[in-house]
Amino acid sequence: MTDLLQLLFAGLSQGAIYALIAIGFVAIFAVSGVINLAQGEFAALAGLVAISARASGLPLPVAVVVAVATVAVVAVVMERLTIAPVKAMTTLVSLILTLGVSTALKALMLLVYGPNAEGLEAITPGIVTVAGVSIRYQDLWILLVAAVVSAAVYWFYDRTVTGKALRACAEQPVAARLVGISLGRASLISFLIAGIVGALAGVLSSPVYFTSWESGLALGLKGFVAATLGGLVSIRGAVLGGFVLGVLETLTAGYVSTGLRDAVAFLLLIVVLVVRPGGIFGRHAEARV
Amino acid sequence: MFRTRSTRVAALLAAGALALAGCAESTESDDASGGAAASDEGPIKIGAILDITGPGASLGVPERQTLELLHEQLEAAGGINGREVELLIEDNQSTEDGAAKAMSKLVNEEEVDIVLGASRTGPSLAMRPLAESSQTPMISLAANQAIVNGSEWVFKTAQNDRVVIERMIGYMEQQGYTTIGLARDASGFGEGVQEMFDEIGSDAGISVVATEKFAPDATDFTAQMVNLRNAAADVNVIWGIPPAAGLAQKAYRQLGLETPVMQSHGIGNQVFLDTAGAQADGLVAPLGRLVVADQLPDDDPQKEVIEAFIADYTEKFDMSPSTFSGHAYDGWKLAVDALEEVGTDPQAIRDHLEQVEGFVGISGVFTMTPEDHSGLQADALQLVTVENGKWKRLDDQATG
Repeated sequence: MTDLLQLLFAGLSQGAIYALIAIGFVAIFAVSGVINLAQGEFAALAGLVAISARASGLPLPVAVVVAVATVAVVAVVMERLTIAPVKAMTTLVSLILTLGVSTALKALMLLVYGPNAEGLEAITPGIVTVAGVSIRYQDLWILLVAAVVSAAVYWFYDRTVTGKALRACAEQPVAARLVGISLGRASLISFLIAGIVGALAGVLSSPVYFTSWESGLALGLKGFVAATLGGLVSIRGAVLGGFVLGVLETLTAGYVSTGLRDAVAFLLLIVVLVVRPGGIFGRHAEARV
Repeated sequence: MFRTRSTRVAALLAAGALALAGCAESTESDDASGGAAASDEGPIKIGAILDITGPGASLGVPERQTLELLHEQLEAAGGINGREVELLIEDNQSTEDGAAKAMSKLVNEEEVDIVLGASRTGPSLAMRPLAESSQTPMISLAANQAIVNGSEWVFKTAQNDRVVIERMIGYMEQQGYTTIGLARDASGFGEGVQEMFDEIGSDAGISVVATEKFAPDATDFTAQMVNLRNAAADVNVIWGIPPAAGLAQKAYRQLGLETPVMQSHGIGNQVFLDTAGAQADGLVAPLGRLVVADQLPDDDPQKEVIEAFIADYTEKFDMSPSTFSGHAYDGWKLAVDALEEVGTDPQAIRDHLEQVEGFVGISGVFTMTPEDHSGLQADALQLVTVENGKWKRLDDQATG
């Protein structure tokens, strides 16, 4: 029983990171139909910026703010330079564009920060043991921030007028423009949100899972699978998808084989796309047609 | 239906694109001035294929720095017998196919006289067939004995895993441990390790009761450590390289395992101490003398060589060298020694390397034979522990 709880908890912590990355995918896709393959790089970049800011003597909270702000700027610049100028954006075009940005960001990180993996220091170092289950304080921070951020993003997209206006851009671009919603501004805001959420994921995960120039690839893949599990347009679905993926991975590693751990995400992706293309929580997506 | 179909197509496209991104290539060439080299004139060409990016980066980067330092020193001293020496460094991205491609480039296009590398076992094994078929002398910097088993043209400088395991079993025997829980690297470095523990330990009644694996780029070790905890062995062994080995060590302590833990010789660098932090205290590992140079007795034959190297390296790079730098140092010095003695004829170089005797290096004192292309025995290793984040030589070296 202790083992199960320990594995479940590790899975939840890992899943929270996937959920944050997945929110970034959804935040952009739900507005403009763009799939942003550089989402994982946002996280890696934030981790690396925070580590070097910390190494240069800034206090941890300042380093985190610097990292999140830097990535937010990168996300906005990326949108203006590569997404906004394209007149007829399709999902395929967006994949090619963002893959290019992702590769460029990776090369840049390798040049600037070198090839070694490093970890940011934890917000609260140490562990606490509850009923035989060891819990890192950092895990609690990850879960807390993930909960607050996902609630905030969900509230913004589903409950505020601005958020609904953003979603309208994907549903009915022409009608949205007719009622005075700027598609360009909507896309920009969605990238800003994705940048901030991705950066938070990177900064939070760095103390536990470490960051290197290439850690964005795995994070991006897992986050994308999590978002797809949720149908790619639902924040709630993305969060649930992240947790399901994290827990399934850890349980597979613990009870079946550690070698299968990374295969879980992709097996799950294939099954879901074949059986329930709207996502495992896909009622939502089907009903919208 | 529009939404669902586009979602599915989009998802498949994205998955494909990401997979492609994962395979993307890049090569790093340190000094890629091409041109064919005639064997008796022009510069002597030494090639090196290292794991500079990817999971092996904490090995490959100090190795590259070491080679650059030694190359500089050699140039300043006038090259080899007056001939200029060109150093060509390739990054294999810690992959087998990257290593094979780089090897074929160095051998066929650059026509190098000797190849150093790779940093890890898997890429080294991928280079071996090319070295043998093209009859190019190669000195690997990696550990697994399979790299040189029965080889004609391949040598290596890192201590064999067999030698390491003999040393570890000796320590276990002395401590009275009989069961081992093993968490090992799932790549070439960890391949066959469990079998070797069982084979070498059989005389002492020591055997492995549980084996867990982790990918070299793994980040979460909860599952492996939970399973080791349940196996309740007398001693647990983590067999990997940093940062994975450091993260595993961290998870080990954080999950409250109090069983003594040993690590392999794969952890001899500062990156390991940085990643594992305070959780490294108390582990025992067989490492090269380099990490405990300041604690060696004065009559140690390697002390002088090691201290000179540490001084040069620290001066140039403002950081301490790792045991991996030592493997590169040994590889370079063996290569240069052979080139100085017999010139650039591949057969002569090979024959010379095979007869190396009493060669004092950083990782040990090398004596090669036709049967042993590694040249190091268990005495090349020191049992080392970690105390307050620093390497500490154990007083009792348990040579059994």
